[in-house]
Amino acid sequence: MSEPMSVGSSALEPPMPSSASSTEPKHGGFTRFELELEFVQSLANPQYLNHLASRKLLTNPSFVAYLDYLQYWSRPPYLKYLTYPGPTLKSLQLLQEERFRQDIISPDLVQALMTEGMKAAVEWHKEG
Amino acid sequence: MDKQLDALFGRVEAALTTLIDSIAKYNPSEKLADDLAHADRALAQGLRELEQHQANHARIQQLRAETAALDAQTKDVAGSLWATRKEVDNTPTTTYPADSPRYPFTIADLLGFARRISRNTLPPPGVTNGLDLSAPPTQQSEVTMDGTATPGASFTSGVGTPGGGATAAPTPDAMVSQATVASSVPEMPMELRHAVNPGEGAVFIPWPTEDKIRSGALAEYQRLVERGMDPKGYDPEEEEQRKRDEEQAKKEAEERARLEHEEAERRMQEERARMARERERARQEAERRGSVAEPVGQKKSQFSFIDMDDEDDDE
Repeated sequence: MSEPMSVGSSALEPPMPSSASSTEPKHGGFTRFELELEFVQSLANPQYLNHLASRKLLTNPSFVAYLDYLQYWSRPPYLKYLTYPGPTLKSLQLLQEERFRQDIISPDLVQALMTEGMKAAVEWHKEG
Repeated sequence: MDKQLDALFGRVEAALTTLIDSIAKYNPSEKLADDLAHADRALAQGLRELEQHQANHARIQQLRAETAALDAQTKDVAGSLWATRKEVDNTPTTTYPADSPRYPFTIADLLGFARRISRNTLPPPGVTNGLDLSAPPTQQSEVTMDGTATPGASFTSGVGTPGGGATAAPTPDAMVSQATVASSVPEMPMELRHAVNPGEGAVFIPWPTEDKIRSGALAEYQRLVERGMDPKGYDPEEEEQRKRDEEQAKKEAEERARLEHEEAERRMQEERARMARERERARQEAERRGSVAEPVGQKKSQFSFIDMDDEDDDE
């Protein structure tokens, strides 16, 4: 489905959140900020990660560089725009590991991540 | 106290002995009996004192014990205070490296963030993802994910394989849970359950679902690429705006043309009217000239009867 490689590369500076300025070129009607925010949050979905792995993107060096670049979402002022903060940041962190990028192709791992994630989402609230 | 009592006992004994002796000698004396009585009273007094003494002693003992207990407590408190203090001193505090960035934020920021993420981080009431059944909560989610899978996507293909196994596993547990529900809430018909608990069977997914990803900006981007357009610099909104502007311009041009046409028409009509008027005037002029050529008095009398006199006077 999406081809994030064409959106930007690690050579770029993170886009400004307040990119409402009309000077920035839009990509299909969306700013780079919007697209990257959506992409980084999609990474929270284990099935999406599996999908990316099945497209051999996770072994592509430039894609790995892009994942490294996306880490700017773990810092302010970008952090506060994440609406799925927990799973997003966890995925982003895991994706920096070579081992995880290889293993996520396994449906068992996807299943385990989903089960764990949905369990955790209910459990942390119970404890509190 | 013991000596005192011993003395009192000795005195009673001595008095008794002397009295018995005197009685044995068949020489009783009233004085000796009195002595005995005195000694006995003294002994009784002594015993009362002893009782008092014992009571006091017990009280002292009790007080001492109390003091000791309080002392121990005080020591305890002091000790725990010391230990706590030591603990507090030894507690490893998070030390932020001086060079690490600090990000100031306001309460409003924090609350805004909390409000935005709560929808995706807090399960709605009653939705437990099947956690209480201690079974993998994947049954419904599998159905959802597979159900929404659109053809031509390999998105769920990888998950489909274990899905079959995973869906089979929780079934017994789910049945057990339904059995327990049925026993505690007698005979709730399936179709009413949803009305009672809207969260029945609902699943909370803490990440963007495939649906959301498919309906997002990236999917839109992909659709543009598939249509053979370069999304870079392409903005449907701007396109729309441009189209609207063009249409607007076209409409305006039409309007202008129409107005011009009307204007021209109007002018032509005016022209025609003016020409008609001029013709009329010319005709009148011609008529007047003609009438002027005719006898004046007759003509004048036709128009101004009153003026006639003045004019006549003037003339």
